[in-house]
Amino acid sequence: MRQIPLGIRLRDSAVFDTFFAGPNAAALDYLQSLASGSASAGAWLWGLPSTGKSHLLQAVCAAANDSGLESVYLPMADLREIGAGALEGWGDQQLLALDDFDLVAGDEEFEQGVFRLFNELTEHHGRMLIATTEAPASLDIRLPDLASRLAAGVVFQLVPLDDAARVNALRLRASHRGLQLPDETAQFLLRRLPRDMASLYDWLDRLDTASLEAKRRLTVPFVRDVLRGVDKA
Amino acid sequence: MPGSLWDRCVQRLESDLPEQHFNTWIRPLQAVQEEQTLRLLAPNRFVVDWVREHFYEQISAVVSRCAENSEFDLVIEVGTRRPITVTAPVEMPAAPRPAAKQYRAPPGVTVGGRLNPDFTFNNFVEGKSNQLARAAACQVGLNPGSAYNPLFIYGGTGLGKTHLMHSVGNAILEANPQARIAYVHSERFVGDMVSALRHNTISEFKRAYRSLDALLIDDIQFFAGKDRSQEEFFHTFNALLEGQQQIILTCDRYPKEVSGLEDRLKSRFGWGLTVAIEPPELETSVAILLKKAAAEGVDLQEEVAFFIAKCIRSNVRELEGALRRVIANARFTGRPITLDFAREALRDLLALQERLVTLENIQKTVADYYKIRVADLHSKRRSRMITRPRQIAMALAKELTSHSLPEIGDAFGGRDHTTVIHACKRVKGLRETETRIRDDYDNLLRTLTA
Repeated sequence: MRQIPLGIRLRDSAVFDTFFAGPNAAALDYLQSLASGSASAGAWLWGLPSTGKSHLLQAVCAAANDSGLESVYLPMADLREIGAGALEGWGDQQLLALDDFDLVAGDEEFEQGVFRLFNELTEHHGRMLIATTEAPASLDIRLPDLASRLAAGVVFQLVPLDDAARVNALRLRASHRGLQLPDETAQFLLRRLPRDMASLYDWLDRLDTASLEAKRRLTVPFVRDVLRGVDKA
Repeated sequence: MPGSLWDRCVQRLESDLPEQHFNTWIRPLQAVQEEQTLRLLAPNRFVVDWVREHFYEQISAVVSRCAENSEFDLVIEVGTRRPITVTAPVEMPAAPRPAAKQYRAPPGVTVGGRLNPDFTFNNFVEGKSNQLARAAACQVGLNPGSAYNPLFIYGGTGLGKTHLMHSVGNAILEANPQARIAYVHSERFVGDMVSALRHNTISEFKRAYRSLDALLIDDIQFFAGKDRSQEEFFHTFNALLEGQQQIILTCDRYPKEVSGLEDRLKSRFGWGLTVAIEPPELETSVAILLKKAAAEGVDLQEEVAFFIAKCIRSNVRELEGALRRVIANARFTGRPITLDFAREALRDLLALQERLVTLENIQKTVADYYKIRVADLHSKRRSRMITRPRQIAMALAKELTSHSLPEIGDAFGGRDHTTVIHACKRVKGLRETETRIRDDYDNLLRTLTA
């Protein structure tokens, strides 16, 4: 008989501890200094989708709040829906993290709003952290005053993990959920599933639920059965 | 139960809501608890509307649960508990305010922001590109109100106009600590004026600005098209000039070239001295880098400074960003900053967008390279001249894309994922033992990621 899982699974918090840095360790180190208030300037993270930009932006805000800095995470996907007016009034924060800035780059009202925010933050030594998919050199920001201010931040490219690092990242995430993911199972998943981290984490979620329901460990035979079940469905 | 009502609600909402929603929309809300009302303050009306629309019911339910036996009215509105922390050197006694609620930021009459003490003449690096502007600014610092009034500094973004402007302010303040100086970005001037109009404090606003010893307004190109602000500024400008109070203005271009600015303003801007700042020449950029690095306690070799300066020719702000990136890497790795180290550290900054590598792209590139057809890669043919390129293409697909191995196998004529695993192992082995295969693989990798 299948057990219906209660909502007691640990959530994947977007904090520094659950981020597997691998080749992006220098970026992580700088962001930690930003969160503790010791960094000399803001930062600009860029990289392909599923490289951990949103995770890191939220992690910086969480850590900054823990160290007593007021910070807020602003996803441009939501703000774009609301309008540029939603950028008003955040200038008294100590750290502002603007995610998916590409979505509003080139939009005059948004660029003006971000420019104003940047100036307000700078006035009291607040910092701005932005994330884009596009490289700074390729992103078309129309307001040169804004482009140069953002470029004064420390730029890091987040690079995708290779397969060995993907296994480590998956196992780290599993261990934070209190799940045991044996190396051979992680390797098995890498051979069968799409290998971008978003898909792999999504699958970890499904496997977590399945293992709770079936009260089974994440062995290769069990995982194979789960994958087959999905294929059939 | 420990903590305020809102603290307890926040704990519940944090576990109930998706993390991103909580971080963006709930955590920044400030709460004011008044008898039977819980007021949640958001920074603007757009956030208020969004929170009301998406989270009101959930918040309301949590408040009811956490309030135990009491009932609370939930109000979500614009406001902040913090007073506006404008630590301007000038604060005028505020006029009697309209009946603003206590938790709202007072619309007090403050003028501009603070001077940045880090911007002084001492740490402004002089070169041909900014010599004249610096000399004029020094003169104004020594004789405010009489040397050059107004002093109008123009030039591209990130070249040091703001630095020079603050240097003058700091020099005036050093000579006369009682001097009332305000630095204000023109966007802020407009915002403050609109706020004064809204709160009916425009006469205090005018008085505050006109009582200054020196007014520094940055980026006046942002006045373009804002007629009411221009008019107010025009009168402030005249009053200050008449009183021999110093005005310093910056702009990204020559005043006459700013469209959307009234002619009478443009003409008055030219009454004093107009000086340009040009982009720094290479030697000045190097000097700037060396000085900045020394200020950070970093020993930067001249050849490295030259390399960075050659890479970033646009402006000083971006030059500083590049230096910060190099220093961040050096601090993280503990390695000395050599030329190669700097080159590697700046890759992220200078890189153009990576091309998204697709399976089709890999197949076409490999087929062209080996002068075979893409259809051959999909086919069942097992001759060496086809299998080797096919294996290489599979290995490249595994390295350069996030596709699953079954997907990769599928894209090569419906092959099994174990075939892909075998191909990757085979290519790995061959790259170690056969120079030609290694070269081919590296060439293809370069072509696909260039």
